[in-house]
Amino acid sequence: MNKTLCTCSLVLVMGMALIGMPGCSKKSVQSGGDSQSTQGMAKGGSSDSSKSGVGSFPDTGVQPGDGGLRGLDKNPSEERVGSGTMLAKVDPSSSAGRQMDEFRAEAALQDVFFAYDSWTIPEDGRQALSRDAEWLKSNSSALVKVEGHCDERGTSAYNLVLGEKRAKAARNYLVELGVGANRLSVVSYGKERPSCKEHAESCYQQNRRGHLVVKTGK
Amino acid sequence: MTQVKLIGAWFGGVLLIAGAVGILESGAADVFLEATRPDFQKISLGVAGIQNGGGPDWLGGRIEEVLKKDVKRSLVFDLVDLASLGIKTPDIGNGMGAGSKAVFKQAAEKGVSVLVWGKAGLKEADKEADVNMEGFVYDSGSDEVVGGKRYAGSPSVVRLMAHRFADELVFRYTGEPGIARTKIAYVAEQGTARELFVMDYDGYDARQLTADGFLNLMPQWSPDRRFLVFTAYRNRNTQDIDMIELATGKRWTVISLGGLNITPALSPDGNFLAFASSHEGNSELYRLDTRTKAIQRLTVNPSGDLSPSWSPNGRELVFVSDRGGGPQLFLMGSDGSNVRRLTFEGDYNAAPVWSPRGNWIAYVCRTHKEYKLCVISPDGQKRMQLTTGPGVDDSPSWSPDGRHLVFSSTADGKSHIYMIDADGKDIERLTFQGTHNSAPSWSPAS
Repeated sequence: MNKTLCTCSLVLVMGMALIGMPGCSKKSVQSGGDSQSTQGMAKGGSSDSSKSGVGSFPDTGVQPGDGGLRGLDKNPSEERVGSGTMLAKVDPSSSAGRQMDEFRAEAALQDVFFAYDSWTIPEDGRQALSRDAEWLKSNSSALVKVEGHCDERGTSAYNLVLGEKRAKAARNYLVELGVGANRLSVVSYGKERPSCKEHAESCYQQNRRGHLVVKTGK
Repeated sequence: MTQVKLIGAWFGGVLLIAGAVGILESGAADVFLEATRPDFQKISLGVAGIQNGGGPDWLGGRIEEVLKKDVKRSLVFDLVDLASLGIKTPDIGNGMGAGSKAVFKQAAEKGVSVLVWGKAGLKEADKEADVNMEGFVYDSGSDEVVGGKRYAGSPSVVRLMAHRFADELVFRYTGEPGIARTKIAYVAEQGTARELFVMDYDGYDARQLTADGFLNLMPQWSPDRRFLVFTAYRNRNTQDIDMIELATGKRWTVISLGGLNITPALSPDGNFLAFASSHEGNSELYRLDTRTKAIQRLTVNPSGDLSPSWSPNGRELVFVSDRGGGPQLFLMGSDGSNVRRLTFEGDYNAAPVWSPRGNWIAYVCRTHKEYKLCVISPDGQKRMQLTTGPGVDDSPSWSPDGRHLVFSSTADGKSHIYMIDADGKDIERLTFQGTHNSAPSWSPAS
């Protein structure tokens, strides 16, 4: 049974099982059939990605199955129902070990605000960035991250791209003003970290921004 | 559009689809399942009660309630109210016996095709013990009790017993596995963080998966339901694509190239991971061969390309590009060949997802400044808007039977998760807790 075929649609799998095509025939299922097979578990998934930027990857293809259903029976035998898809209890410590860089807001650094759907820096934004560039020149050891943010309209995914365009536009303007590019990093938070949560233009305006934060520590 | 829920929705449909296997293998387009049965009528089904078999009073009622909702959501059955048809079912608890003949006769006369009943109780009535459930099925077409199921399990799986029985009913009448035991992964806000959760398809039993206190975004299921791939931020700084194993909670980074790394999507066979990355400048589409780890660039364009979604046969991708100005949907071969634009209506079309039957692509469309759900056929010939009204709709995801979509919407104020029939009918809100729930992803069927 071709894997691709099986995964294209479970309807196909079930349909073929019904009409007796080979390969996808029903097999007996233990324990109610809802518990997942442990075959092909992650092959040594490590917490760090390799230098090539690609981490380990388990086999995630679908093995031929019958959906765990056994059909109605005139004299049904008892099936034990498990807890369904196995879900681990969340372990905060597994994530707590994730190193987080620390950044602080700097009162002297001003945000740049953008128009709806736009990543063009408006005139008042250029003025704000000019003042930010002055601060960066007089604080020459400061490393700054430019965060690109969006309002809640539009899709999460496209807003991440839009946020990156805004962050890069702000960074590029700072570089034009003479700030070293190696002191500036960019990140997009899309619409995922809004500073204001009302569903109103007054709020949207505040969220369409490039926000500058200063790296602390090392 | 009502065709969507009709496709393959009965046994004849299964034969028809199975007959199309040859076409699938030969590499024809994904629209081959368009053949439908416009004469399809939902199968009328009545639930004649889940009686108390020795246990707490709520038990039978709970199972009956869950079962009825599953039956209704299946869109295979038309749930009929037996009482309003004048069908009394006091004795059906002993449905295998002669006393139920009169009820069967009545049901058949009133046009009820399927009658379901059962019993639930504690295995040992005097103790907190395992729950027992029995369910039986009478089919008026063949005028016989066609069979039943007996389940046992802990009290914590009572809802799952009902889901399982509902899926058996769908399987009996369609040959499909049903969706009542599927799950929905999503993102929930916790303070300023966004963490991954998984809940049952009906919104119950939400479980938290990540707890790193930062942003975890846009989860997608692996075909085998054992993993999620998603976007996370290493050091709050660099975007990576991470993977988490549900059974163990083990989590690791699979794509770490620098820049924006978003919208991961595993191919239906699990052999490729398509994603968007800006590590070479602007957001472009790539695909990782999960066996060789080779990364192939799929798009070459100065604009943003993102949000790939695989056709069910894995041969094509639909994606978003703003190469024409605003975001629009494009199609291409899964190797990056033969790019062509799919959407021309409106100036903002994004977040496409290819239906599991191949015949529709759902996406977010902007009309009158509102972000709503639309569907379009892969040939671009048919288009339909599914949702209307205020609120930002986002992140549609298909049910594995192709009859529903789940999506997020701010229609009620805060962002919550909703289910909608693929024809735009019957919106059901699934989440009620929390301050912001988003990015739902419907699991494959088990």
